[in-house]
Amino acid sequence: MSTAASPLHPAADPASDDAHGHDAVERGPFAWVATVDHKRIGILYLCTAFFFFCVGGVEALLIRLQLARPNSTLLSPDAYNQLFTMHGTTMIFLVVMPTLVGFGNYFVPLMIGARDMAFPRLNAMSYWLFPFGGFLLHFSVMAGGAPSGGWFAYTPLTETPFSSTQGTDYWVLALLVLGVGTVATAINLIATILTLRAPGLTMGRVPLFVWMTFVTSILMVLALPVLNAAVVLLLVDRQLDAHVFLASGGGNTLLWQHFFWTFGHPEVYIMALPAFGMISEIIPTFSRKPIFGYEFVAASTVAIAILSFGVWAHHMFAVGLGHSADLAFAGSSMLIAIPTGVKIFNWIGTMWGGSIRFTTAMLFATAFLIQFVVGGLSGITFAAAPIDWQVTDTYYVVAHFHYVLFGGTAFAILGGVYYWFPKMSGRLLSERLGRWNFWLMVVGFNLTFFVQHFLGILGMPRRVFTYPDLPYWGALNMASTVGAFVMGLAALVLAANIAISLRRGKVAGDNPWDAWTLEWATTSPPPHDNFHEVPPVHGRRPLWDLAHAGDAAQPTEPVAPSRPRRAEPVLDKGVVAVWSFIASEAAFFLILVIAYVFFNLSGVAGAAGPSAASVLDVPKTAVFTGCLFASSFTLWMSEKNLEREAHGAAARWLLVTVALGAVFLVGQASEYLGLFHRGVGVATNLFATTFFTLTGFHGLHVTMGLVALLIVLGRLLAGDFRHHRSSVLRAVGLYWHFVDVVWLVVFSLVYLRAAG
Amino acid sequence: MTTWGLLTSCWWLDPLALAACLAASMAYAMPPAGRLRVRRVPLAVALLVLVLALMSPIGRLADGYLFSAHMLQHLLLVLIVPPLALLGAGPLLRARNAGRVGRVLGRPLVAWGLGVGAMWLWHERTLCDAASHSALVHRAQELSLLAMGTAFWWPILAPREEARLEPLPGALYLFTACVACSLLGILVTFSPIQVCSVYAHPVDRLGVMTLLREGWGLTAEKDQQVGGLLMWVPACLVYAIGILGVLGRLFREDEAHGESSSQEVRS
Repeated sequence: MSTAASPLHPAADPASDDAHGHDAVERGPFAWVATVDHKRIGILYLCTAFFFFCVGGVEALLIRLQLARPNSTLLSPDAYNQLFTMHGTTMIFLVVMPTLVGFGNYFVPLMIGARDMAFPRLNAMSYWLFPFGGFLLHFSVMAGGAPSGGWFAYTPLTETPFSSTQGTDYWVLALLVLGVGTVATAINLIATILTLRAPGLTMGRVPLFVWMTFVTSILMVLALPVLNAAVVLLLVDRQLDAHVFLASGGGNTLLWQHFFWTFGHPEVYIMALPAFGMISEIIPTFSRKPIFGYEFVAASTVAIAILSFGVWAHHMFAVGLGHSADLAFAGSSMLIAIPTGVKIFNWIGTMWGGSIRFTTAMLFATAFLIQFVVGGLSGITFAAAPIDWQVTDTYYVVAHFHYVLFGGTAFAILGGVYYWFPKMSGRLLSERLGRWNFWLMVVGFNLTFFVQHFLGILGMPRRVFTYPDLPYWGALNMASTVGAFVMGLAALVLAANIAISLRRGKVAGDNPWDAWTLEWATTSPPPHDNFHEVPPVHGRRPLWDLAHAGDAAQPTEPVAPSRPRRAEPVLDKGVVAVWSFIASEAAFFLILVIAYVFFNLSGVAGAAGPSAASVLDVPKTAVFTGCLFASSFTLWMSEKNLEREAHGAAARWLLVTVALGAVFLVGQASEYLGLFHRGVGVATNLFATTFFTLTGFHGLHVTMGLVALLIVLGRLLAGDFRHHRSSVLRAVGLYWHFVDVVWLVVFSLVYLRAAG
Repeated sequence: MTTWGLLTSCWWLDPLALAACLAASMAYAMPPAGRLRVRRVPLAVALLVLVLALMSPIGRLADGYLFSAHMLQHLLLVLIVPPLALLGAGPLLRARNAGRVGRVLGRPLVAWGLGVGAMWLWHERTLCDAASHSALVHRAQELSLLAMGTAFWWPILAPREEARLEPLPGALYLFTACVACSLLGILVTFSPIQVCSVYAHPVDRLGVMTLLREGWGLTAEKDQQVGGLLMWVPACLVYAIGILGVLGRLFREDEAHGESSSQEVRS
């Protein structure tokens, strides 16, 4: 062994400020509430998600009970609508995403040999937003009724005239809260993966689960703000009587569908890619072979991520986009089959010729392969627009996405639970109960959803609370309901297995599966700081390398540290985080800008009432705009001075920046007051709505930026930057410049267009 | 005119493009063969695509008839010809003193701006119309598209490997370009306003408008929609392929290095 000679990654980094709880907090009564340890937060995510899984599961069982027989009156139509809406929203936002994020939280730092996430406190905030969002969503039940417009909340059904309870408002608020939390986690994961990898662990060597989580995080950063912007506009419609998505006031209902699916399709991959990552860890371990075609699995993920933003309209074939658009989206949707198919072959190629051990985890992974292929194949049939017209909004769709999300993602997650439970708890789950769990789940799942393909082809529409007694419909639905209850039983077995194994399970040891990735190099469960020392990394399977180091001729000389041919760039975690945040903010503003352009510059609206040309005072605004742009320059001067250690000058320039930003805000406020005075309010017409949302959110961001600048100014004056160099000003500065760039776009689109 | 007639008769010899092709081929044939031979395929394909874009019916229809044909030509000139030419002519450029060119083109922000600018700039209405009214502007358009395309692909495919972007920043560079390009595509596809007014009412010098409008079913609106979709979907695929290419380099480097390090261990 040459470990003593090899340079080890110091697991404990004394220089970094201790964001972890101290021992008192570790053990005190609030240990779990106050924790910022990524492992505890990961477990909190998983437990909370399991709780919501039970809630969503009960909702599903109620739905299936109602549908078990034709003409059933168990549930009222309205209760049924609320149940399927809550079931979908719960399973997607409160179960699948948090579970995947929870696994990412627990295992990404372990897999890359890091001590914690890049921003432990931010991590805790992200977690606590999740139960808060879940609470908001369910509070609607007590506030007059749960949302009932389906998980994609199509307008105008979800607009005030058609759903008068506050359910949709709570739905919007919950999604906003959850969206913010998810984006924060995604930024944290990106910063962690890019900046905290152990030496030698290049991006071409990290475990595939880390790759998938990385790509998923990028998708989350770009896709969730689109949803946030869309639901904000919906909320403006509902609470402030605007008409963005209401045809009655000149709005456009289809715009909601475009916005929603621009988020919604990447969302499908957000829920699928980490599951692919789990499968890519489980299958090699239990086939005793390295993954076949690592490069292809990783690169095809990137291809899926890019394509996912270009295919949303395949959810909208039935709305009449026109022949050429249908053709283009059908083509691009079918393309996704290629990278996905590549992955399937990689997994089969890994199993091929391996010595497979069918543990419960591997059984789930194998079932995943088969069921995901079924879901993928029915997905391809949807890519053909004519078939889509035939079966859209039938149970064929329900069957399809449950094969992808349950037969695929949920099975992968269950495999992941059996695979990683020993690492998290120190004890193995019972294999005997595991087998019961697996077989009940497979039988129940396929019974429930396979028959739904036939129901869909027979023409049974989804989202109907009951159905007439047509030939076969009753029998097929009964079979489906029986299957659902078998799955419920399987979930109980899983809960029992976890409860029993936690107390009486076999002790796992560090590496019960003889796996190769870094998380198995530490104890189970890992110590607070994860590793006493991180093993040297020279390849994709560090533990295998370690175990077989003695096989070949043993090196007698100390081995030179492994360095990639090009030095990997050293990235600052703060700068990475701010750039990721800027990307997400850009996506948010992009939607607001598109809404403005769509209603004001594309010649669609032409509605009566105020317009940019008739009510905006361009010269006055130009003056405030000048102040804002000047503030970018003064901030830059401040940064320069801080670099030169001229703290006094830096503080003065920063003060000028704050003053200029404040002048801009005052100017904007006076502009708003003037408009209100002339009777132009948010709900006046679509120009007013889109103008106020766009400039209002920009103003909000300027305010946020000012607060951040004031905090930095305070720290600067307190002398915090004298002793250790800080990239805080640089990070806040980047954000401030970004806000200015947004205004540049807004000013030229809204004001200059109006003037010219 | 029939479709077949259109496809066979609308070729013309663009003297400038022809001269450029000949010059490139000759310059390429001149240096002693050997290791340069491998790169002949991309260069040949690049020249072929150039000929197709400028001298085939695509070029003719792009000149004031069909917006979609114009878009196809545009994309071929920015996204297909330059990267293939860079791949093919790489050794040639390396042989000459490419350092000075590289210093200017090697700035990713400038190159990105030029590449994305190439997409947006020529779809500004006045410029777009001017290009089909004046032969000179049209020529300037073609040349600038090629030049901006080359500038865009330089940080990805520069002849000297040191001048290229690292794989992950390279992927980011291409991805953001893809987003910017898709946005324009979306705008063009869904915009009810004609992007370039000439294509709404073409002057039918060739006598093909009946065929295009009725035979092919390309009304002015549909024509623009197809053009927008071309910029949106296939163009994005080119960037996606580029991203896969640079990621492939990331993995190859790690792999190659992994082997060398395991050799180190053994030695």
